[in-house]
Amino acid sequence: MIDKEFDVVIIGSGAGGGTVAKELAALCRDGKRVAVLEWGPRFKESDYTGQELEMANKLYFEGGGFLTRDKSMTLAFGKAYGGSTVVYTGTSLTLPRETFHRWGVPNLDYDDLIRRSRKYLQENNVHLLPEADINDNNRLFFEACKKLGYRVDQFPINVKGCQGAGMCNLGCPNAAKQGTHRVQLPEAERNGVTVISNCRVDRLSEHTCYATVTDPGVGHPSAWAPGDYRIRARVVVLAAGAVNSPALLLRSELPQRLPALGRYFTCHPALILVGQHPQPITNYYGHPKSYYCDEFVDSKKFLLETCMYFPFVTAKNLAGFGPEHSALMAAMDRLQMILVLAIDPARPENRVTIDRQGNPVVDYHLSEDIMDSLYESMKVCTRIFFAAGAERVHAPASHKFLIEAGEQDRLDTLITRDQMKPGKISISSGHLMGGCRMGDDPATSVTDAWGQVHGMPWLYVADSSLFPKAAEINPYVTIMALADRVAERIKERGRELLN
Amino acid sequence: MSSVLSTEHRSFIVALARRIVPATAQLDAAGEAKFLQIIEAAIASRPVMVQRQIGLFLSVLRWLPVLRLAGALDKLPPARQDEVLRWFQEAPVPLVRKGFWGLKVLIYMGYYSRPELLAMIRYTPSRHGNQVLHAARAGAGSGSLTQDHHD
Repeated sequence: MIDKEFDVVIIGSGAGGGTVAKELAALCRDGKRVAVLEWGPRFKESDYTGQELEMANKLYFEGGGFLTRDKSMTLAFGKAYGGSTVVYTGTSLTLPRETFHRWGVPNLDYDDLIRRSRKYLQENNVHLLPEADINDNNRLFFEACKKLGYRVDQFPINVKGCQGAGMCNLGCPNAAKQGTHRVQLPEAERNGVTVISNCRVDRLSEHTCYATVTDPGVGHPSAWAPGDYRIRARVVVLAAGAVNSPALLLRSELPQRLPALGRYFTCHPALILVGQHPQPITNYYGHPKSYYCDEFVDSKKFLLETCMYFPFVTAKNLAGFGPEHSALMAAMDRLQMILVLAIDPARPENRVTIDRQGNPVVDYHLSEDIMDSLYESMKVCTRIFFAAGAERVHAPASHKFLIEAGEQDRLDTLITRDQMKPGKISISSGHLMGGCRMGDDPATSVTDAWGQVHGMPWLYVADSSLFPKAAEINPYVTIMALADRVAERIKERGRELLN
Repeated sequence: MSSVLSTEHRSFIVALARRIVPATAQLDAAGEAKFLQIIEAAIASRPVMVQRQIGLFLSVLRWLPVLRLAGALDKLPPARQDEVLRWFQEAPVPLVRKGFWGLKVLIYMGYYSRPELLAMIRYTPSRHGNQVLHAARAGAGSGSLTQDHHD
């Protein structure tokens, strides 16, 4: 066991950890030692090949197919220097006021959260793409929503020099996406923060992290040699994401009982839906995600976003098999895609636990209300595809593999609720939230509104596990805003915590 | 890499793949080996418990038809095999549906993640996608959207 000592240790380097690292780098000027421990590798530019399976295995836990306990859904979360910011599409929305009010966290102020969010929008070069860079897949969605009278808006995105590779979810091969691996972490390192990649934190005890450094054979070698480490720190900031942060706390010897730990997990259960056009469209050239439709967030609890996925992901999201499946797959250049995100309620029974080996296990029940939302979304998306000019649509809960344009007046009989069967319908998630939720009651929350774990002034959380309920939008900007608060609190309490 | 699947399960996956993605029948020996290698690597990367569940489900899928149809799945006529697979896909027991979904995912992974396939399914992305996009918009790329844009 090799011993190390720091003033602050940050576990995880994604939207939360990267933000805290950059903000706390100022402490290094006063001689404080700050380290980031990141499970994943620090990739070389040449590692971003754009090959689907290779990159999924490099960048995601379990290749992006982490199964929930009942195997109804797969979860995708990143493992890299930069965490999931390496693999998101860079869509940059701030938390809606109504959602904030539903969160109901005492001592959390909306205007303060938005002020901090804007700081990161600026820092990450967030802007709207010019019309010339918007491809048919996105444009057709926008025009169809307008035609149908649905509210539709353009996503601001955080790119610099985007060349439209369309491979955001496989790590941008052009270094355009402004994740923490491009912005906050390099700045933190320039100012004295140490980042240790390939470093898995196994457990915590008071002021101590027990970690293992490995050599995965990809990316830059870790700054530390492979081996077991005991790292002492005055303050520990946990930012390992909504699955791994609660799991790490559950594996640890903590002095305080935390009954809400791991609970109230939400994840925007998602469908990928496909329409086929009679002619090739530009779909995988250009940025994949330009528009969203929030028309149905309040009434039917789902959000629609444009998307364009890769062949394997597309194949697994189609229900059915055989010649008709193959025929649709053989026309990748004619496919229009929509991502549906269900707005799921935070329920205590949806939770992260650990197995006997200490590995995370996610219990998540796709309840009837969520399946209702996804079912309704399928009919809405089918209408959007046809309004966009698609000649046929694949709705996984349809009695037919493909619904033809001439059948659109029969959607209620072709797409039926009884066909919404987990296992038949492929459901996935990339927005993992909750498990260390903020609040003031230790019975129903894990941290206070500043991310400090109840009863443990040396331990903070700074990632999406803080969310008390679903974000109802893509979450990274809100994670950064909350992490900014956490860093500020640590700095404010520096004299008490760090001396 | 040592095999995580028995010879019997490997053969059964190849037979099953013919029904899920008929074009797997056209794979040459090297292509089939690559297809199986991708699937085995995916299984090997999963927890041991999941590996066992996959093995168990392969056996269930293969042998369950014996009870009603007097033959292992891969010994039935193709149309009958498809009927059985559709039953698994729609099965009243969620775990059966999910198990079948998992096998389909492995087969799709083995087939659709091979770079050599991509042009055949008209998927030819480019690191410089905006150039193709702008050319298409200008009309210069008309009809060439799915031609060679590999980088």
